[in-house]
Amino acid sequence: MITDTVVELSKVHLTLGSGASLVHVLDGVDLNVQRGETLAVLGPSGSGKSTLLMVVAGLERADKGEVSVAGSRLGSMNEDDLASFRGRQVGIVFQSFHLIPNMTALENVAVPLELAGDRDAFDKARAELEAVGLGARASHFPGQLSGGEQQRVAIARALAPQPSILVADEPTGNLDGETGKRIADLIFAQSGERGTTLLLVTHDTALASRCSRTVRMRSGRIEPSQTAAAGFVGGRAAQ
Amino acid sequence: MTNSRNSQGFRLALRLALRELRGGLSGFYIFLGCIAIGAAAISGVNSVSGSIAGGITEQGRAILGGDVAVSLVQQEPPAEALALLSANGKVSRSTSLRAMARRSDGGDQILAEVKAADDAYPLFGELRANVADGADGVVDWADFGDDSVLVDPLLLERLQLKIGEQIALGDASFTIAGTIANEPDRISEGMIFGPRILMKPAALKNAGLIRPGSLFTDSRAIRLNDGSAAGLGAFLEKMQAQAPSVGWRVRSRDNAAPSLSRNIERFSQFLTLVGLTALIVGGVGVANSVHAFLDRKRPVIATLKSVGASGDLIFMVYLIQIMLLAMVGIAAGLALGALMPLVAKWALAGLLPVSSASALQPGALGLGAIYGLLTAFVFATWPLAVARETQAASLFRSSGFVARRLPRAGYLLMISCGVGAVAALAILSASNKFIAIVFLLSVAAAFVLLRVVAWGLQWLARMAPRVSNTQLRLALGNIHRPGSVTPSVTLSLGLGLSLIVALTMIDTSLRQQVSGNLPQRAPDFFFLDVQNSEIDRFRSKVEELAPGSTLNAVPMMRGRIIKLRGINAEDYPVEEGGAWVLRGDRGITFSESLPENATLASGEWWPKDYSGPPLVSFSAEEAGELGLTVGDEIIVSVLGRPVTAKIANLRGVEWESLAINFVMVFSPNSFAGAPFGYLATLTTSGKEKAGTSGTTADDSAIMKAITSDFPAAVTVRVRDVLETVNTLVRQLGAAIRAASAVALISSVLVLAGALAAGNQARSRDAVILKTLGARRSSLLAAFVSEYALLGAATALFALFAGGLAAWFVVTRIMDFRLAIDPMAPVLVLLAALAVTIGVGLIATWRILGQKAAPHLREL
Repeated sequence: MITDTVVELSKVHLTLGSGASLVHVLDGVDLNVQRGETLAVLGPSGSGKSTLLMVVAGLERADKGEVSVAGSRLGSMNEDDLASFRGRQVGIVFQSFHLIPNMTALENVAVPLELAGDRDAFDKARAELEAVGLGARASHFPGQLSGGEQQRVAIARALAPQPSILVADEPTGNLDGETGKRIADLIFAQSGERGTTLLLVTHDTALASRCSRTVRMRSGRIEPSQTAAAGFVGGRAAQ
Repeated sequence: MTNSRNSQGFRLALRLALRELRGGLSGFYIFLGCIAIGAAAISGVNSVSGSIAGGITEQGRAILGGDVAVSLVQQEPPAEALALLSANGKVSRSTSLRAMARRSDGGDQILAEVKAADDAYPLFGELRANVADGADGVVDWADFGDDSVLVDPLLLERLQLKIGEQIALGDASFTIAGTIANEPDRISEGMIFGPRILMKPAALKNAGLIRPGSLFTDSRAIRLNDGSAAGLGAFLEKMQAQAPSVGWRVRSRDNAAPSLSRNIERFSQFLTLVGLTALIVGGVGVANSVHAFLDRKRPVIATLKSVGASGDLIFMVYLIQIMLLAMVGIAAGLALGALMPLVAKWALAGLLPVSSASALQPGALGLGAIYGLLTAFVFATWPLAVARETQAASLFRSSGFVARRLPRAGYLLMISCGVGAVAALAILSASNKFIAIVFLLSVAAAFVLLRVVAWGLQWLARMAPRVSNTQLRLALGNIHRPGSVTPSVTLSLGLGLSLIVALTMIDTSLRQQVSGNLPQRAPDFFFLDVQNSEIDRFRSKVEELAPGSTLNAVPMMRGRIIKLRGINAEDYPVEEGGAWVLRGDRGITFSESLPENATLASGEWWPKDYSGPPLVSFSAEEAGELGLTVGDEIIVSVLGRPVTAKIANLRGVEWESLAINFVMVFSPNSFAGAPFGYLATLTTSGKEKAGTSGTTADDSAIMKAITSDFPAAVTVRVRDVLETVNTLVRQLGAAIRAASAVALISSVLVLAGALAAGNQARSRDAVILKTLGARRSSLLAAFVSEYALLGAATALFALFAGGLAAWFVVTRIMDFRLAIDPMAPVLVLLAALAVTIGVGLIATWRILGQKAAPHLREL
């Protein structure tokens, strides 16, 4: 049977720091996300939601438990395998955009394609910029773009390699309300059009409500009621 | 397949690196300065020496005085050898020797270097002279009469004479026709001890200076009929074939001044090592700059990793950037280095030939570039390899950057290979490999020790009991807190200061030896060319002039080793240390008994009435360097006659005493019937009793009386010679100190960079303290205390490490006693404090005036 589950986390534990500053950031997390689903992760600061995102993106390694994303078991991969996995399967949108300052918008979008050895990197990057409405700003450097424009470039960069999953960490957190709404529209529209699974970490309940499913984290765990609900909701494609 | 993937990877890395470099050179000025200074020092020193070598080659004919020059000591070449010379070109003859030049009124005298040249002189180049107290011009030597001489202007100054007046030499007087402005073949004759007197051969004969056993050199310069390279080669072959039987020294225009070339090469190799130290000191700045740069770039690195870049690609992207930036620094350094020959040409005008045509020395510039690239690579790889491990997850956490850790094994191997390449280059390009190895080991040891000192200092600061003074507590905290500038400051300043301390102590010891120890132990006078027939009269005269003083007189001849253990001297394999024994003519003597100041090391001395085959006693140290032992056979050319002698014994000789010493002492029957003169030393009674030399007036009286009674004898006052040597040592010391100052400049640059890099943390502290009520004076006191503690600790280390290095060089390599200048520690301490506090305050002054509010908003 071909499974449609894109993200499978089973009893995932992660501890950060050492000695007195040791923190159990993830404490036995179980989570399944289906292909095309849009999932919001809510929770107070320090609850472990960003770390959960990092584990899914292969940016952080679980101490214990199984992590499988897009059919790959991340626990058995080394750093470089994980980087190449991210390049192919995971698009990431950050709260602070994290564009490379010395590269133009076009070059920023082309980087993941270039890293994947795509010969048409720049043509595809240009198309992605057009798709986010920034075709005319392709030769601008990040410093010459507004916050909203920078986040659009970041979305184009994240989606350019056609990843299976898009993870976004507070994507509207650094933007004003109106711009944030437009960025959210763009993220949902673009991931919806492509059937890309979306994992969204946010404090914003209004933004979370646009997702097909919401989980709430507290002290490194996904709260039981929400997890149970997830079991019923799981599998329903978000639109 | 793998190759194509690698080249794709490289192309991608290069593309990303070039995009990243759009940020410009900002933040890289210290990096560029460190690389540029080191590359400039190495390429400059080698460019200058290369240009001098080029100048010697270009002007080879003028410097040598001919296409080929042959010389013989104490004799004239045989007729058939002379016929060979004149059959192949035009020949000019000159005879040179040392003699006492006197005022005609007997008022004063001076040791002079006499050269009697025939009318053909000079075959090449121009003889320039000032003949009428006017401007100097080219003169034709053939126009001068037999009763005229040209002299060095210094001689007129010393003897208070003028052009047109008379000067006495030997048994005759001559008119001073003018002063020499340029003697074209001057530098090919090596070191000369007195001012030049140029005279005609007939004049030399009239002066009666050449007597049986006199130490003179007969030189013949030839302008070849066929001056082409092939013609020169063919002629040299003929000359070399005759050399063993005639015993002459043959030099060609291609190697006009071998000893000068050798000395310049050696000196430049030494200065290259000093330049390398500057580059290594600068390497600390390179590492700091790269570290700070990569710190700024961590978000970009993490971003690249988050979109799929591998660690290796990250390493390559940033290595390419660093090496491209290093090339900018190297290009600036090489431009400076390439200018140095032009500066040298101006500064050394009239002293050394510096070629303009060969001012651009590709080899020298290449050497500077290779050292620069290797240093940048070695010092950048560590921070690059650590930055490669930056985790993409750090983008999600403000404090999630990778913890400091060792680079992976592959990168450590890469760094080791780079260090190995620098060491191999330094050792292979040095003629004295031992010194290069010792130098490199010392730098490596200093590096490790300074790191340990930094740790120790930080540990002490951490463990120090709680002090009540807030400023001092803050200073101690700054010394040991994570990311403090302590390791950078101690490393950069420590290396530079240690080098200066070592070189200064070596220089002080050397000068102390020349001006302090030696004059106390050395005799007051040397007398050369005292005739065999005059020795008894000479002894009586000296006893009359300086009653109670000690006169030692031994026969002296000149001889050149032409064969050892059956191998021609020029083909004999010999280490650098012992090569001088085989180079040219050496003084030799004969004696019935073991000289008083020598000890028998092995073998036996010959019996008093020994009459068998010639035997020779060899100095044990030189025999060791030449691989000779008792029973070996050597052939020595003396007065054109090959003398075969067996080594009967080896002697321990204390050269430093300046007493009469010879490498070879023969059995008396070896030279039966040959003419010889005496070499004598005189130690005055005052010196023997009180350990002090006589006054200048006493010395002058002795010189005057001896010169007047024995006009052919040469009197050398040891005090004058030591003064000359002392001046030379002082000049060399100044040149070396100037070169090592380059290392100190690098130190200061690194220091400034390190302190500026630490400013962010310092700013934060300053702002918080100001918020809590600290005044600017309190902050100033804290900073000064921190810099003073660091400077003092570094100075103490530099004194210890530099002193240790100097002790090793002086006592183990030079065999002297280490002299310590009591002011040196004080000066080093003051210099270290001035540099750390001065540079530190310049770098951090801005912080003191910063307003708290803007920073607090960011905190």
